[in-house]
Parts: sequence; structure tokens; C-alpha cells
Amino acid sequence: MTTNILTGIISIVLGLVYSITALRLPRMAMGDRLGPKIFPYFVGIVTIITGIAMILQDRNPEKRSKKVDFGFKEHKNVWIKIGLLTIAGIVFGLIIDGLGYMIATALFIFSVSMLINKGKLVQNIVIAVLFPVVTYFVFGVALKLSLPRGIIETMLPF
Amino acid sequence: MQSILTNLSIGLQTAFTFTNILWVFIGGTLGTIIGMLPGLGPATAVAILIPITFGMNPATALITMAAVYYGAMFGGSRAAIMLNIPGDASAIVSCFDGYPMTKKGKAGTALAISAIASFIGGTIGMIFLIFLSQPVASAALKFGPAEMFSLMAFALVATITLSEGNLLKGLFSIVVGLMLSTIGIDPLAGVVRFTYGVSSLNEGIDFLVIIIGVYAVTEVYKNLKSIDRVYEFDSKSIGKVKVSKEEFKQCIVPMLRSTPLGFIIGVLPGMGGTIATFMSYAMEKNLSKHPEEFGKGTIEGLAAPEAANNACSCGAMVPLLTLGIPGSGTTAVMLGALMLLGVRPGPTLFTDHPEIAWGVIASMLIGNIILLIINLPLAIPLVQLLRVPQRIMLPIVMGLGLIGAYFLNYSSFDLILVMVSALVGYIFVILEVPLPPLVLALILGGTTEQSFRNAMVLSDGNPAIFFQKPISAVFIVLAGVSLVYALVKRRRQVAK
Repeated sequence: MTTNILTGIISIVLGLVYSITALRLPRMAMGDRLGPKIFPYFVGIVTIITGIAMILQDRNPEKRSKKVDFGFKEHKNVWIKIGLLTIAGIVFGLIIDGLGYMIATALFIFSVSMLINKGKLVQNIVIAVLFPVVTYFVFGVALKLSLPRGIIETMLPF
Repeated sequence: MQSILTNLSIGLQTAFTFTNILWVFIGGTLGTIIGMLPGLGPATAVAILIPITFGMNPATALITMAAVYYGAMFGGSRAAIMLNIPGDASAIVSCFDGYPMTKKGKAGTALAISAIASFIGGTIGMIFLIFLSQPVASAALKFGPAEMFSLMAFALVATITLSEGNLLKGLFSIVVGLMLSTIGIDPLAGVVRFTYGVSSLNEGIDFLVIIIGVYAVTEVYKNLKSIDRVYEFDSKSIGKVKVSKEEFKQCIVPMLRSTPLGFIIGVLPGMGGTIATFMSYAMEKNLSKHPEEFGKGTIEGLAAPEAANNACSCGAMVPLLTLGIPGSGTTAVMLGALMLLGVRPGPTLFTDHPEIAWGVIASMLIGNIILLIINLPLAIPLVQLLRVPQRIMLPIVMGLGLIGAYFLNYSSFDLILVMVSALVGYIFVILEVPLPPLVLALILGGTTEQSFRNAMVLSDGNPAIFFQKPISAVFIVLAGVSLVYALVKRRRQVAK
């Protein structure tokens, strides 16, 4: 499959789902009655047309766009890292309020550096400790943002 | 003329406080450092440094962000010159002659001329900006909703027609951005749209969250493949960071020629620093008496595009400050940063908050001087940072991006959105779908829809209003012409 055809298919599906949702929006009883629907409906139609045009663009085999190459095999490691980084980011969001800024950020930076900077345990521990401490002082103390407080933060005098 | 000088003096008064100058220094240095890192450009620098402005007053915050943006432009060419790796696309041209100069043992001269050229391009560009912004803003004050909609439509279309790459994929990127902008409660009618039952989406998607996703985290993903590359250069062979009189004479005309070129390209939507630098390089090569020297380390080949690039970044500030329309990914990120501070760039910024509008302009003038100071004597210590391996920098960039996103609304949901948009951004990169149009459409989407609907209400639902108003009609025609031009041009390219 070429990049044009895949993007085209995504575009058509997205456009259909979006237009149908737009059509099902409630009609306004007064004021501009088409109000909240008309713009999304228009965007949805353009999306579908764009998708069809993209697929048609590749009908001539000589002028086809590049084949899609996600590199799942060749760059398997990169994809595994991206998957794990995504999970790390989401987990970070879920634990930051409960554990407080310092511990949550330290854990997050440690896991991210273990993924990106493999095999350098000491280096990664140093980064994982320094990053939350420095950013806490910059954002929490110097710039006075209120940061989520956990065990460590409540013990600090500032 | 009189009023411009009065306004500029108001601006200088705002900018010339100890705190503001200190922040120009800090912002400029941090921007230079991030802009310098291989693979990361000004958009990433602005995106991850937004949190440092939290808690500042709007004028200081704007001045700081402008300094970051500017610093990143100065820094972008460092990696190109020393390592032959551009920080971002607009620094590609700096590799052509900058790196050969380093190989010849003239890295010091290259670093010096790139800082000087950036300074000259930036300063003259600022002067153009000073004279152009007031008239543009006054003209735009008269725009009604129909004109505003047509202008936005033109700006969006122009971002895909003037840039390189597949037109339809650019259009796809725009519509995805527009779709994202409609999620949440509709401000005009109060209806909840496209949340699919997710209540965290009711408030809509904060575009800064998406910006951090695609400009900080996706950039980290893109660099994962080259993570083990070791960057080495010999500090001793850099030489003195200065330019001789003869070398300066050789460069002055090319720099002065490239500045207006870069500025004009910057004003046009969709044509960012990449096109400015390539065009300036091509122009100088054509005009040169020794074109065969280009690419082998000739000093004009580095000076001209550097001047064009910084002049271009000044040009891009014209539509950004006066119309609220960003012309590129980087300026879109800048706009996001400004809106977060409660500053809504546009024609009214110049009438309602002249101290802010002109404070930024004045601080960019001062910033230019400060950055020249940072980049000449501190050039050698700063380039040492290029040795810090990516394996260490990337986690830090990602960390700064995520905590920045969290600070926006203190919402865990935003971090999920960052990670999802980063993943989608990476898939877009693989599918060769450009990301800047998406970001632009997401930012402009709300205003585009509102002006469209307001115009339709004014005309009782008759779309002819967009053609009846002369200014609006001009923008629609321009959008159509640029679309047709791009189609014809691409067809010819395919035919060849």
C-alpha cells in the first residue's frame, strides 16, 4: 500500500465518522439554526473528498507515491521504545497527583532514560534525581507555580 | 512616522527594565542551547520553554518567548557548522558552506559570521517590521467577520500551496486540525460537540497540549533511530571567533541583499525559513563571480542565508502580531504561547495594548544585540554542549515537554493527549503528512468558524457575502489562485 492510499483511506473514514456525528448534532430551535452543524459538516465533506482524491492520485502505477514503511521489523526496537514511552507518559499523568511532583517526576525520568540511555544505570539515576530537584526549584520556588505535593514536598520548608 | 517613533519609545520603556533584560538574556541563552541541539529547532525550543513564562506579567512573558524564539534561530546553525547536522530545516543551507569551513579549520570564522549575519538580518528585519506593523494593523481593524474568514481561509490554503510537498496531504493535515478545533462546547451555541462521551473533552482540546505532543515528544521519537551517534569535533581547531575586515567586506552586500528577500518570504504564510535560506543561497550563487566556490566553504554562502533566515523570522512576526495569523509551525507555537498569557495577537493588540505589542518589537531589537554578545564571546563554551549525547538530552526534552503540558491545566488527561498526539504525529511523519498545517488549523479553527458563522448571520445565511465584500473577495480569489498555481506547478513537476 502506498502512503497516498493509506492516508486517503484514513481521511475517508475520519470524514465519514465526523460528518455523521455532525449531522446528528441537535438542531437549534432559534437563532442561526444551522449554527453548530454547518462548519463541521463542511469540514467533513472536504475530508472525504480529499481522501478520494488522494486515492485517485495513485491510480497511475508509474506516478504512485512511496510505499508505506512503518519499519515494524527493521526498527522494531524503536517501536517498542515508543510504545513503552507512551505508557510511561500516561502513567506519569496518573501518579503525579498522588505521589507528588518530585517522586513521580523522578520515576518518570528514570524510566524514560532507562529506555533511551540504555545500560548507563548510574548516569540515569543522576539525571532522575537532578531533573526533578532542579525543575522543582525553578518552577515551584523561583517561578512560584503550585506543584502537586507529596511526602517530599510537604517536608520542604518552601 | 511620528506615531511610530512615539510607539517605539513606549516599547523601549517597557523593554528596558532590569527584569526584562535579564529575561531576554536567560531566554536567549536557553533558546540558543535548545536550537543548537541536533535535530531540534525553534518550535521545540519554544514549546518546551513555555512554562518558564508562567507567573510573569504578559509583557515580560512575551519578551522572554521572543528571546527564546530568536535565540533558537541564532543557535540553529551551530550544529550545522560544527557537525554538519542541521538543528532544523532552515539550518540545512548553513551546512553547505558552514561545515566545509569547519573542515578547513575556519570554524571560528564561520561561527562569527553566522552570528553577525543573523544580527544584521534580524536588526534590519526588525526595522522593516516596525514600519510595516502599524499600517497592517490599522487596515485589519476595519475587517468584519467576512473579511476575517476569507483571510483565515487564504492563510490556511497558502500554508499548503506555498510550501513543498503533497498538496492533498497538506489539505488532510488542515482538516484534521479543523476537526480537532471543533471538539468541545461550541462557544456560540453552547452545544457539546464531538466529545463522544468523554467529559474531559468538554472544555475542548488545549492546542498547546497538541503542540507539545508533536513538537517535543514526536521530535524525540524521530531522533530515536540516530541515538547512538557520537558527536565529535576538535575544539582546538575552531580558531578565533572573529571575522577579518576583508571577509566582512566580502559578505556585506550578500547579507544586505538577502535581508529584504528573507523578510518578504517571512511575511507570506507558509513560506518559512527553509525556503528563505534556499532562495537566498541560490540567488547568491547566481550573482557570485565565483559560483564554483559555493559548497566548498565560501563565506558568503554561509552569511547570506543566515541573514535571510533571521530577516524571515522578523517578517513572520508581521502577520503574527498584526493579524494573529502564524505563517509557520514555529510561529504557530509562538502564537500558542502568547494566547496562553492572555494576549490575543491581532489588530486590536496595537490599539488596546500598545505597550505589549511595541514592547515585544523593542525587546527583539535589544534581544538581537544581546544574542550577538552571547554568540560571539561565548561561542566556544556554548558549542561544547553539542558533545552532550542525545541519549541524555532526549529524556530531558521529553521531561520538560511533559511537565510543561501538565502545568497548563494540572490535568492528567492532558498528558494522555500529549502521548496520543505524539504517536499520531509520528505516524503522520511516516505517511509524509506535514504537521505545521494541522497545528495552524487547530489554532485558527475556532476563529475561522466563528467569523464564518457571524458573517452568515449578518447575511441571513447567504454565502455570497464572502464575494460581495471587496477585501474578502480578494482573499478568496488569492486562495483560489494559489491553489490553481500549486496544482499546475506540481503537474508540471510530475510531467518532467
